[in-house]
Amino acid sequence: MGVAQGPLLTMHGISKRFGAVEALTDVDLEVHAHEVVALIGDNAAGKSTLAKIVAGALTPDSGLIEINGEAVTIPTPAAAYNLGIATVFQDFALCENLDVTANLFLGREMHGALRRSDEEMERITREVLDRLASRIPSARTPLGSLSAGQRQSVAIARTLIGSPRIVVLDEPTASLSVGQTAEVLTHIERLREMGLGIILISHNMTDVRAVSDRIEVLRLGRNNGSFVTQHASYEEIIAAITGAPRADALRHPTGATLSAVS
Amino acid sequence: MSTDLNLVPTGGPLTKNSSWRERFGGLGGNARQYGIFAALVVIILLFQGMTGGRLLYPDNVAALINQNAYVMVLAIGMVMVIIAGHIDLSVGSVVATIGGVTAISIHDWGLSWWLAVLLALVLGAVVGAWQGFWIAYVGIPAFIVTLAGMLIFRGLALAIVSQSIPVLDPTFNGIMANSLPNFLGRLGDADILTLVIGALLILTTIWAQMRSRSALRDHNLAVEAVGVFVAKIVLAALGIGVVTWLLSRSTGGTPIALAICAVLIVAYTFIMGRTVFGRHIYAIGGNRQAARLSGVSTRSVDFWIFVNIGVLAGLTGVIVTSRLGTALAAAGNGFELDAIAACFIGGAAVTGGIGRISGAIVGALIMGVLNQGLSIMGVDPSWTQVIKGLVLLLAVAYDLVSKRRAGTQ
Ligand SMILES: Nc1ncnc2c1ncn2[C@@H]1O[C@H](COP(=O)(O)OP(=O)(O)OP(=O)(O)O)[C@@H](O)[C@H]1O
Ligand SMILES: [Mg+2]
Repeated sequence: MGVAQGPLLTMHGISKRFGAVEALTDVDLEVHAHEVVALIGDNAAGKSTLAKIVAGALTPDSGLIEINGEAVTIPTPAAAYNLGIATVFQDFALCENLDVTANLFLGREMHGALRRSDEEMERITREVLDRLASRIPSARTPLGSLSAGQRQSVAIARTLIGSPRIVVLDEPTASLSVGQTAEVLTHIERLREMGLGIILISHNMTDVRAVSDRIEVLRLGRNNGSFVTQHASYEEIIAAITGAPRADALRHPTGATLSAVS
Repeated sequence: MSTDLNLVPTGGPLTKNSSWRERFGGLGGNARQYGIFAALVVIILLFQGMTGGRLLYPDNVAALINQNAYVMVLAIGMVMVIIAGHIDLSVGSVVATIGGVTAISIHDWGLSWWLAVLLALVLGAVVGAWQGFWIAYVGIPAFIVTLAGMLIFRGLALAIVSQSIPVLDPTFNGIMANSLPNFLGRLGDADILTLVIGALLILTTIWAQMRSRSALRDHNLAVEAVGVFVAKIVLAALGIGVVTWLLSRSTGGTPIALAICAVLIVAYTFIMGRTVFGRHIYAIGGNRQAARLSGVSTRSVDFWIFVNIGVLAGLTGVIVTSRLGTALAAAGNGFELDAIAACFIGGAAVTGGIGRISGAIVGALIMGVLNQGLSIMGVDPSWTQVIKGLVLLLAVAYDLVSKRRAGTQ
């Protein structure tokens, strides 16, 4: 398996601007199979923008994206799905008027010649929900009547549909209970065992340190440090996030620098 | 744990341990739907009483269907547009333009009736593609595009028809004037063909319901309680049976207009309820951005629902021209409002994402029965308008209040 040695996903020199805002400037990112890469940074650092580019929701102004060493373009979310990329968006993109099954399979419905395979989709939905140990009463519940945490479970369950190679999770635990958060972290570890590459965006350093193999820091839309999670000290990471010189951060490990992470 | 679709079944038979909520979840969603059917029945019985039984004279039932075919056809297209979160104000004008071209094609160019019908449908698709292009690919709100269309196509209708163009083709005019041929003869005073069609419809309904129920069973999914299921089928069969019995004793039997509407209703109910396209229409009406991020190609869905309502407006052009035997520049005036009202009476949500073909059809019938009943009673047409307006207002108000009581926004 020569190919498997190289990175699963390579992003090189990615730039993206929104009018006058340079959301991303010359950003590099690599994700290998069997690897969880945490993407962290202050608010507005460009994390979600990068995630949306991988997900095909935004196209970069410049830069190169390779999957398994092959250059690709990801013009649409459907293209991302076909390339094996599954994404949980920060403002989890779901339709409140549709039920859980419909949301899980939205944009990737199973169907025969004319008819949707609703029964098959509902059966799979039940299994996926069971596996995630989600507290969702029924696969036929409309999304509008679920709690924020339950909706987030549905968004995460979407990554179990199809056979993704790369999973992008943008703040997947933001509105979850302690128990549910642990469930999601276990889920991420399972995905890694199965050989997927995972990008985890989070502000929660405990979660990041618990599951990630590598930490990539973005600051003001640029790469600002890469750490092997095991060897990185908390202070080093904080310094990379805030942009404080490392020595300063080491000397004042609490107070102002810490509050920047929130 | 596997990311494949071939997950191994985990749970036991779910029908056994499914919760009350799960069993009746589907019913809650349909409560509004049953309510609107009940309202139609109540209104029919009310007018049946007030007109001394004349409302349901067999020939009056046939006339009711012929007179309201245009609203039903347009409401089908309109409810899809409304579910997707748009509106179409242009259909009345499009009906006039296409009706005009159809009349010219028969009167001046000597086209045969079926070529003229085909031309109307193709023109409808072209008009729909034109409006769909501006809405889906340029991103102009449908309200604006179809408001412009309302002006453009009314102007075009005036330009090409000026006042009226007669159509003398008896087959073309027969589309609305005639019924399906009574080639099976009559049993007493009942048209046998109508009875056969009615019986087939009832059997098909039962078969389809049983099939979808057993499909759910096969997949270990929760199904409706037996009582609800049987009641639903009995009521549907009863409804079809009564209409069949009445129509079979009308002068012509089954109006061709009814056959057209029935085919459309069945086809579009399937499209909206069972196909991927239908699911995507509901999705973009519910949350366009989410649908796009999930991989739905929202632009092409938008485009095709406008092509679709264009084709249905073309068909309505045929229906109206055939019924009058002449094309009028003023034809279709206010049709867009009738269709929109039918959708909202039938439970479509102003914000999009919610609505049904059956609801829109029942909405159209409620307005039709009001029209017919009031006119049999000799009520002035201006008051009929007032009453229809109030019914629309009350229907939507009832909807909002009952939703608020149920606790969902
Ligand atoms: N659609 C958009 N239009 C204009 N500007 C945008 C858009 N999306 C993002 N931006 C800008 O790009 C920058 C990066 O935003 P992004 O959402 O990627 O940040 P983030 O790192 O995910 O922040 P957070 O931690 O708050 O989620 C911000 O300055 C933001 O204002
Ligand atoms: Mg973000």
